Amino acid sequence: MNKSHTRMNTDKHGSLKWIYPCLSVFIRVLLISSAFAQDARQIVEESQKRGRANSQRYEGVLEVIGPNSKVSKKSWMSERLGSYGNSKAVIRFSAPAEVKGVALLVVNHPERSADQWMWTPAVGRDRRIALQDRATRFFGTDFSFEDLEERDVDQFDYRLAGEETIDGAPCWRIEARPRAGKTSQYTLSRIWIRKDNYVPAQYENFIKDQLARRLRQTDIANVQGIWTARTLEMTDLRRNSRTVMRIEKLVYNTPMNEEDFTVQALRREQ
Amino acid sequence: MKRAARSLTLAVLCQAVALAQDFSQRGFLETTGLFFPQTAPNDSGRAVGESLFRYELFYKPLNGLQFAGGFDAAFDTHQETDRAFAISFWDRERLRPAFAIRRLSAQYHRGRLTVEAGKQFVRWGKTDVLTPTDRFAPRDFLNVVDSDFLAVTAGRLTYGTQSDTIDLVFEPRLTPSRVPLLDQRWGVQAPGIPLAEAAPDFPGGPQFGARWNHIGTAAEYSLSFYNGYDHLPLYNAQLELAPLRVDLQRFYPQLRMYGADVAVPLKWVTVKAEAGYFTSSTPQSDEYALYVLQLERQTGEWSFVAGYAGQAITSHGTAIAYSPIRGLTRSVVARAAYTIDTNRSLAFETVVRQNGAGMYFKPEYSQAFGQHWRVTAGFALIRGRDDDFLGQYHRNSHAIVALRYSF
Repeated sequence: MNKSHTRMNTDKHGSLKWIYPCLSVFIRVLLISSAFAQDARQIVEESQKRGRANSQRYEGVLEVIGPNSKVSKKSWMSERLGSYGNSKAVIRFSAPAEVKGVALLVVNHPERSADQWMWTPAVGRDRRIALQDRATRFFGTDFSFEDLEERDVDQFDYRLAGEETIDGAPCWRIEARPRAGKTSQYTLSRIWIRKDNYVPAQYENFIKDQLARRLRQTDIANVQGIWTARTLEMTDLRRNSRTVMRIEKLVYNTPMNEEDFTVQALRREQ
Repeated sequence: MKRAARSLTLAVLCQAVALAQDFSQRGFLETTGLFFPQTAPNDSGRAVGESLFRYELFYKPLNGLQFAGGFDAAFDTHQETDRAFAISFWDRERLRPAFAIRRLSAQYHRGRLTVEAGKQFVRWGKTDVLTPTDRFAPRDFLNVVDSDFLAVTAGRLTYGTQSDTIDLVFEPRLTPSRVPLLDQRWGVQAPGIPLAEAAPDFPGGPQFGARWNHIGTAAEYSLSFYNGYDHLPLYNAQLELAPLRVDLQRFYPQLRMYGADVAVPLKWVTVKAEAGYFTSSTPQSDEYALYVLQLERQTGEWSFVAGYAGQAITSHGTAIAYSPIRGLTRSVVARAAYTIDTNRSLAFETVVRQNGAGMYFKPEYSQAFGQHWRVTAGFALIRGRDDDFLGQYHRNSHAIVALRYSF
């Protein structure tokens, strides 16, 4: 049957020459898409490179606006040591009063998902946040535990999906999918990276083809030579709630100690 | 010019010192109402009001040095809290003190080493439903099903990296758990025979503990050792004939523990296990093993913890024991919490004895108002037989309403 089918096609066109232009087009498409993939990865890599600092400290002032438009305010101090994707960070709540002292330690790894521990002073215990629990919202904000991790560029496959304008700034639109074996609640992330300063202007994160969270980054300023978004707005589209975080008192490359980014240090600082 | 430079240097130094100084504080004022539909044989009260003011402060005069202080002021309508004006430091009183130093310690850390001395909280173990290895964590069990931790006065040395930590604790003087009062509903009265409490016999010796904890990629585990005294008492009973009564005297048996705990995050759940084997040189004391196996999972707005707490007695002692920790073993324990929104949450907790002789179920609703206020309302349903540790409190089902102002 296959033979007769092949013969029929051959007979119809007289030869197999028709296949060469098709193959050529196919190879070109492959090469172009490969080039785009390479470009997309390079853009993300360049974006991460430009935002690189040995350390970072800021105060996050958060407003959580619930589905019923009720607003609750929170604030935390964040300290990060190390380069993007291979860093350690501690986020410690300073308000409201009832969560003061609650802290999260994030140890990012370039080759795998980050490790996370949470310290709750009221019970005096630390708790490791398991991978399967990281889709959960972080202390009533619209950021999930996973959103507080940094992902190394090698953990995703990238594709340049087009170019769009966000807030008047031309951006590359890049699609990122976790590589096989990498764990993420998101099946697809769309990233808009500004062409002028390589700062990501927007993320859209999908769970099973449904848009779950959107992060918009605005108020971009040059802080100590690093272009930084100072307002982050995370929208949880399934809950219809959003969290706006203003980054204040931001400093880069300030001296920090490796020993302050351990589970022991979480407990120590109370 | 020199003067200007000197002034500038001084100003910079002053600013550096000011920046290095770090002061933080937190606390709350909470008023709780407990409403009991039933009276108990030794307690006709149906409503109890409690107020607690707690203030904690932390001061870092230098990098690496921190002082922590905490103060409690309590009042209640049921005379579980002492009415006398005295400030308690050692937490050895029968009643809950009206004023107490909750914590007072100095901590110094340099590199991998942390040393803390003074009244402090030391928590060991990984499980939540019961923590057999948590030996430096006495509790206020005046209300058995809603206990608060007490600090211990100790020296603690911790040395380690992120992956491996050694923890050494030396507690020169035992801080006992506070047990229910005999004339209150959480105190157990034998029918027909009045009980009286004699002055307790506190041990003179110190407590020592060591724990090694390892954090790996696939699992976290630790080994622990404790040698000292149990913070939960045994009782000597003496029959007095005129008038007829039984005098009970608390004493604290010698205790040695060999413990281990582990947490393994798997694809669907996190498995936690913890076990301790307890021996004693006090002849009246049991020798036993406590173990816990629990599973936990968070999904969406829900978090679940469920487990089994077991006990195996290898040698029976002769003394009357009172241990809410052991009393809740041979049980299935489960907790679930649901976050409704940023301000509102629901929680459910249940303990069911494997022989069905006792059960406890507590649903709770909590709502925050603004930045400082929170109202919590719920009830605790307790059912069971008189011969079961949990079941004996079947008259103590109650509703709870609490209002807290945090600052």
